[in-house]
Amino acid sequence: MSAAPIEARGLAQSFGFTPVLRAINLQVESEAGVLICGRNGAGKSTLLSLLAGLGTPTAGAALLFGAPSNRLEPALRRRVGLLTHQSFLYPNLTARENLTFFCALYRIANPAPLVRSWIERVGLASAADERVRGFSRGMEQRLALARALLPTPDVLLMDEPFTALDPEGARLAASLVGDAMTRGCAVLLTAHQVAQPGSLPLVPYELVRGRLVRLDPPSNLHEAAPAISRQAV
Amino acid sequence: MAAFAAILRKDLRLELRAGESVLTLVALSLLILVVMVFALDPVGGPRDAGTAAGALWVALIFAGTMGATRALAAERENGCLRALLLSPVDRATLFCAKLAAAFIFMAIAEVAAVFVLVLFFNLDFDMRLLRLGPSLGLGALGFAALVTLLAAIAGRLRAGDLLLPLLAVPMFVPALIAGVKGGELALAGAPLAAAAQWLKLLTAFDVLFLSAGYLLFEYAISED
Repeated sequence: MSAAPIEARGLAQSFGFTPVLRAINLQVESEAGVLICGRNGAGKSTLLSLLAGLGTPTAGAALLFGAPSNRLEPALRRRVGLLTHQSFLYPNLTARENLTFFCALYRIANPAPLVRSWIERVGLASAADERVRGFSRGMEQRLALARALLPTPDVLLMDEPFTALDPEGARLAASLVGDAMTRGCAVLLTAHQVAQPGSLPLVPYELVRGRLVRLDPPSNLHEAAPAISRQAV
Repeated sequence: MAAFAAILRKDLRLELRAGESVLTLVALSLLILVVMVFALDPVGGPRDAGTAAGALWVALIFAGTMGATRALAAERENGCLRALLLSPVDRATLFCAKLAAAFIFMAIAEVAAVFVLVLFFNLDFDMRLLRLGPSLGLGALGFAALVTLLAAIAGRLRAGDLLLPLLAVPMFVPALIAGVKGGELALAGAPLAAAAQWLKLLTAFDVLFLSAGYLLFEYAISED
C-alpha cells in the first residue's frame, strides 16, 4: 500500500518553551481534502510550513508521499504546490515572466501556451505583461494561485487561499482547488473559519491549543457554519 | 542546466530593471576610490602601482560584499527564496546561478572601478590595464563564491548584513593579498609571468571557495 500524500505523525513544534503544535496526527489521501481552521496564532501556518518542508518539527514527523517533507528528493518536490501568505512572486517581473520562470524551475517544456492559459484562467489576461509590483493584493493572490497550480501538483498546501480575493476570485480559487482534487490531488487548506466559498468536499478540523480537533458535520461548507460539535482526534 | 539559465536570466533581468546591485557596487567602489585617492596622496602627485592596486581591491571588496547582501535580500522579498528551495532545482544549481550573477555584477563594477582608477591615479589607458584582467577576474570569482555562500548564512540571521563583511573579509585576506600583489605587478608593467605565483594562489583560493560553496550551500541556505 502506498503512503498517504500528506501525513503528520505525532507532529509537535515549540518555539522556545511555548508549544505551538502538540502531537498532531493527520492523513490526507489522494482526491481528498482537509480544512484546518483556527484563530490567529493557533498554529495553522506553522503546521503548513512543517508539512511543506520549511522547517524541522520539534517532535514527530511531517511526511509527503511517505518521505520527510524537509528532505524531499527533487522529483517529489516537483509534485508539491504551496500557497502561503507570501506570494513567492518577483515584484519586478511581469505576471507572464513570473509564471514562465516557475515553468523553467519545474522543467515544463514549451511553457508559453500553459502560462497564457493559466493567466486567462485566473482572470489576469489584461495584466499579463504588467509588473507584479503594481498588482493589487487580490491580483497577486490570483497569480500566486496560478503559480502553485502550474506544475499540476499531487499535493496542494494552501494557507488561507481565499484571503484578499473578491467573491468572484474566491469562487474561482475554490473551483481550481476542486478541479485539482478531482484529478487526484490531496489538498490541505487553512482558514480562520469553516465557512468557505464553493462546495469543496473538505473534512474540517480545528487547531485548539496546539491540538487538532475534528469538526462535525463536514458537509455543506459553503453555507454559514452550522452548530459544530468537536471531536478530538 | 535549464534551471541554471532560468535563474541567471531572471537575476540579470531583475538587475536591469532595478539596478540595485550593480549601482550599489559601482557607486560604492567609486566612492571608496575617491576617498582613497585623497587620503593617500594629494591630487596630481605621483602614485605607485601598489597603492593603486590596493585601493582598487579595497573598493571591490566592500562593494562586492554589499552587492551580495542586496542580491539575496531581493530574493527574500515575497518569500521568493522559499519558492526556489521548494522547487525541484537542486541547491548546487542554485548556488552556481547565484554565483554567476554575483560574478557578472562584480565584473561590471570592476570595469567601472578600473576606469576611475586610471583617471584618479594618473595612469594611462594601455596594455597594463589588460594585464590586470587575470587577477581581477580570478579574485572576483573567488570573492563572489565566498560571499554567495556567506550571504546565504547571514541572510537567516537578524544582524546578518553586519555579519557578512566580518566573516567575508578576514576569510578572503590571503586571496586579497594575492590580488593586490598581482595587480601591483600588472600596473607596474611587469609581464604576466611575473605574477604567476600570485595568480596560482588566487586560483587555489577560487577552487577552495567554489568547492566549499558547491558542497555547503545546501546547508547554508536551508531554513531548518
